[in-house]
Amino acid sequence: MVYYVFTLVFFLFVYFILAMGLNIQYGETGILNFAYIGFVAIGAYFTGVFSLPNSANTGQHYILGLGLPFPINLLLGGLAAMFFALLVALVTLRRLRTDYLAIVLISLSLVLYDFCNNYVAAFNGADGLYNVPEPFAKALGLTVNSFIPFFACVTAVISLLMWFVMSRLTRAPMGRTFRAIRDDHVVAAALGKNVFWMQLKSMLIGSFYAGIGGGLLIQFGGSFNPTAWLPGETFVVFAVLIVGGAGNNIGMFVGALLVETLLVHLPAFLPEIPGHPGLIEYFDLALVGIVLIVMLWFRPQGVVPERLRRTASFGVDDTDLPVAPQLPFEPAALQLGDGQ
Amino acid sequence: MSETGALVSIAQTERAAALRCEGITKAFQGVHAVNGAAFDVPRGLITALIGPNGAGKTTLVNILSGAMSCDSGREFIGETEVTNRPSYKVARLGLMRTFQLSRELGGLTVLENLLVAPAQQAGESIVSVLFRPALVRRQEREHAERALQVLETYGLYPLRDNRARELSGGQKKLLEIARAVMASPKILLLDEPMAGVNPALIERIGGYILDLRSSGVTVLMVEHNLNVVEQICDYVIVLAEGRTLATGRLSELRENAEVVKAYLGEVIDAGTAH
Repeated sequence: MVYYVFTLVFFLFVYFILAMGLNIQYGETGILNFAYIGFVAIGAYFTGVFSLPNSANTGQHYILGLGLPFPINLLLGGLAAMFFALLVALVTLRRLRTDYLAIVLISLSLVLYDFCNNYVAAFNGADGLYNVPEPFAKALGLTVNSFIPFFACVTAVISLLMWFVMSRLTRAPMGRTFRAIRDDHVVAAALGKNVFWMQLKSMLIGSFYAGIGGGLLIQFGGSFNPTAWLPGETFVVFAVLIVGGAGNNIGMFVGALLVETLLVHLPAFLPEIPGHPGLIEYFDLALVGIVLIVMLWFRPQGVVPERLRRTASFGVDDTDLPVAPQLPFEPAALQLGDGQ
Repeated sequence: MSETGALVSIAQTERAAALRCEGITKAFQGVHAVNGAAFDVPRGLITALIGPNGAGKTTLVNILSGAMSCDSGREFIGETEVTNRPSYKVARLGLMRTFQLSRELGGLTVLENLLVAPAQQAGESIVSVLFRPALVRRQEREHAERALQVLETYGLYPLRDNRARELSGGQKKLLEIARAVMASPKILLLDEPMAGVNPALIERIGGYILDLRSSGVTVLMVEHNLNVVEQICDYVIVLAEGRTLATGRLSELRENAEVVKAYLGEVIDAGTAH
């Protein structure tokens, strides 16, 4: 029972992190990143290979194998995803926007998937990485059963820390400029904003979050292989974002709770329907799709919509002026009418 | 083009140019939208850019503001050549523009629309946001105070916390100008600021533009309403078929047969002949 509950808690907080990363890219900046799960995978794989010992001793094939301790490997995994995002952004963001960017990114995610699935020397191909050392398990003498609650709590702490940083970033003028670019990038550029540079920043921050989320996934389960990140998984994160409310970090938590915990993971613990093994699992994803459509139809702003940033939040006095604002000039100075 | 040379150009005689373009051309799949436009926009004055529909006015505004690149020609802001620089770099040199069809940042509040405008905000850097929060907060407060003043001037103060997409057409026109003003421009390109606006609001907007001139801003506005041009513009550039047909005061241009034929024709006929 404890195992189940903490597994759910773990996935809740991981998807909170993942959704925050996608939110800054899509919800705030309007970058339709359909390759998001690819960045999660990069983070997971690199966290794994930074943590695993040299591959000569493990019977697996992978690069690096540095045997670094947690959380250094996790941090480097996040940075690896960020670096990958930098490469992708330099090629795509300068020229492409909206639909075309989305098409290129979804293709990219498929290419990356096939590469990791087939090129064994990188991350052990279709078998993926396994036996990744569990953080602190030896030092704290954790058993298989006590590791899960422990790591779920570690993940919760990390995600709250990341939420704190993210809410600072999105509340700052930077977040506002992101939203300006989302609403109309031509206007943002006309106001002197370097749209490419700002989008790049958003992309990098979001990918770091993706990478950390991926790193936590591989550390929790000790393994990670291509079945864990089918390109369609991107849309589960999008579902979290849309249900929760794009543009609102708290909404990401609510979305993770409703979609990831209640819809995707909870039914997996239900007893199987006799004679139909695995049916519930497939029904899950269909349910996510239905919920997504219903939300987009009836409440596109999400359960917790984007917050309005009112005048008082900028540290200024917000009292209504005593009189209705008057014209600052004499209308008589400008006599329009017959003209000739 | 012989009459053009005979006109006394304010730009050449009295004032330095805030903005200059030389031989700008732009073709869209063989259609020459702008075909050698060349003129000076005199500093500190209100200049009208007039011309028949399809003369290339909006294309020219897009090129001058960097939203579009030109095929040939050169553009200068003061002494600095800015030909085909991206719009954010042109904007950072003090040239701000508005759009013919208002383009508000719909998801942001009216106040936030203005707060996007100031250049060099410390809060746009990750490092400052995380490690210099006091600086960011102070700057935000200063910008917000100024933005509220601008909103008050433009009669948008009561709407400060509304999402910009909820505004009416006229209010969006005002917001466009207010947002550009918030960026402290040296040169303001207004693309039909009075289009689709009721007469009372035309008067208000006209007043705002005169106020901007008094505070030293150079204004170049695309305008079809010759009453407005006559009453608030100091200088007129006539564009026809992508070329500068004539420049000068409106009163001078009325004497110009070519201008009358290309653009003023009907108006003068309506006023005098009938």
